[in-house]
Amino acid sequence: MLTHLFKLIWNKKKQNFLLMTEMFVSFIILFAVFTALVYYYQNYHRPMGFEYDRVWKFGYNAPREISDPDSMAAFRGSVRQLIRSMPQIEEVSFSSENIPFGNDNNVGGVNYYKKNVGADKYTVDDSYSAVLHVSVKEGRWFSKEDDAAKEKPVVINETLKKSLFGNENAIGKLIGEGGEGMGNMKIVGVINDLKDKGDFAGPHNGLYRRVDTGNYGGGAILLKVSSDADRAFESRLFKVLSSTMRNPDINIQHLAYMRTRINNIRLIPVIITLIVAGFLIINVALGLFGVLWYNISKRKSEIGLRRAVGASGHSISGQLVGEALVLSTISLIVGSFFALQFPLLNIFDLPALTYLIAQGLAIAFIYLLVMICAFYPGRQAAAIYPAVALHED
Amino acid sequence: MIRLQNIEKVYRTSAIETLALNSISLDIAKGEFLSVMGPSGCGKSTLLNIMGLLDAPTKGDIKIDEQRTDHFSDKQLAQFRNRKLGFVFQSYHLINDLKVLDNVELPLLYRTSSGNERKKLASAALEKVGLSNRVKHFPSQLSGGQKQRVAIARAIVGRPEIILADEPTGNLDSAMGSEIMDILLQLNATDNTTIIMVTHDEYMASKTHRLVRLFDGVLVQ
Ligand SMILES: Nc1ncnc2c1ncn2[C@@H]1O[C@H](COP(=O)(O)OP(=O)(O)OP(=O)(O)O)[C@@H](O)[C@H]1O
Ligand SMILES: [Mg+2]
Repeated sequence: MLTHLFKLIWNKKKQNFLLMTEMFVSFIILFAVFTALVYYYQNYHRPMGFEYDRVWKFGYNAPREISDPDSMAAFRGSVRQLIRSMPQIEEVSFSSENIPFGNDNNVGGVNYYKKNVGADKYTVDDSYSAVLHVSVKEGRWFSKEDDAAKEKPVVINETLKKSLFGNENAIGKLIGEGGEGMGNMKIVGVINDLKDKGDFAGPHNGLYRRVDTGNYGGGAILLKVSSDADRAFESRLFKVLSSTMRNPDINIQHLAYMRTRINNIRLIPVIITLIVAGFLIINVALGLFGVLWYNISKRKSEIGLRRAVGASGHSISGQLVGEALVLSTISLIVGSFFALQFPLLNIFDLPALTYLIAQGLAIAFIYLLVMICAFYPGRQAAAIYPAVALHED
Repeated sequence: MIRLQNIEKVYRTSAIETLALNSISLDIAKGEFLSVMGPSGCGKSTLLNIMGLLDAPTKGDIKIDEQRTDHFSDKQLAQFRNRKLGFVFQSYHLINDLKVLDNVELPLLYRTSSGNERKKLASAALEKVGLSNRVKHFPSQLSGGQKQRVAIARAIVGRPEIILADEPTGNLDSAMGSEIMDILLQLNATDNTTIIMVTHDEYMASKTHRLVRLFDGVLVQ
């Protein structure tokens, strides 16, 4: 029977070519759609890598009058003292403005000899990891011992480690801020990735520089507050800080709220993808269904004849499903060849696993669709009396 | 061999009901060559389809080889058709996407047989109808008479006891028609195959053992 199937398919290669093209195109569309969905899904399930509960951001501009670094350092020291003295405050950290879930980005090059990659660059202080409960994978976080360091101490995240060094050890290596030569930044630690751009964002390279005492005017202060820090405390804090900063342009936001906000923004493309995906999938399903249905309805008299010479209804629908499965297998092999180029050539910079899962889903989906599309009209065709089927030419 | 008792067939469409066969009773003996004649639309094809289990009667009983067939499942019907019956149609009903040999092998695909065996039997059947030199052709490359000979080869390849032929010469000129008729007569004579043939040709009918006439769904002997 299988040889018979192949003969039939081969002799109808022109018609089947169209059908296979339809299947191939459907597969490619599904592959793209599933890649996007799998990517979002994987990102959503990536660990956060830090804690944002009870973390508040205090945004400010430093007073204009302070211009030299020394007085700036002194001023910040006193602000820190002031905040720390409040019982509701557990930790305080000064940071550049690109804090988690914020709108600000600071992207630049990082290089290890000739290897150059882009990375998000953060300027933070020694208590940043404590405020956010960042877990250090290798080496250590910044500390006082870095004060005397000859090379600038930096901490990198795991993704940056992988991009620069692969599986090699990173601790102690010297890297630069883009370019080619030997760098002057020494890696002292590797931390977990922080999913700090919202739940649907993918991993990105991250470089953490230790703040140069006094060398930033504006920025953010991250505060870890205790569980009894309520609204009353928040407004008291606001008053104290605004008089200390001598600058009206300040704000307090909760990281939990900022996360929801950035997720909502990020959700828009996700939802659009979902809607488009839904339409495409329905289209693909209807298209395939139509083509298969048409092909089968054209074969009514053949079906009638087969029934007359001894085919049962089951063997007819089995044959039609079998034919469709052979055709879809051929299309899927060709389609998979194209799909595999994406991880192999690293197009779009997504993880290989994302592509492979999407490919698997697309294959499963096409098979399912083809089985339904061939089985249902096949069964219908097989259910009519052979005399009726033979009648239709 | 075939016994029809009070067969009635009603076609219902949304608009009208057609009584295509009205209380037909007919006995056909083993080895008999019966021809059926009658004007167009009188129910000849319907009768043949019911005898061939391709369609179910609205009323009445059919016995083939002493077996009642009304309780058969779809699978049993299929097997019964495959073993006992061979069909020849006016419009040949060859599968255009299969070569001649594969067309002839078709009934054997629905029973257990090896590829070699199928090939051997199909070649033998084609030899019987004088088409051994066309096995690798597609139906579209054959003349009408040749197509009908392929159809006959397909009908006899499984060695059925009964052949049902619905105007087998209807689309052929008289020379080709007589060729086909000779093949059928030969089959009947040498293999004792029971043949029921619908025809419009009095001369062809005269060569068979018995002739029945249908008029408006009623047998008029
Ligand atoms: N599937 C069907 N649905 C409705 N009516 C049908 C159907 N098939 C046949 N009929 C009707 O039944 C009657 C008998 O048809 P049948 O095909 O048996 O005639 P026939 O004797 O074979 O005619 P012809 O010599 O033209 O082949 C006709 O009136 C026809 O219109
Ligand atoms: Mg007819």
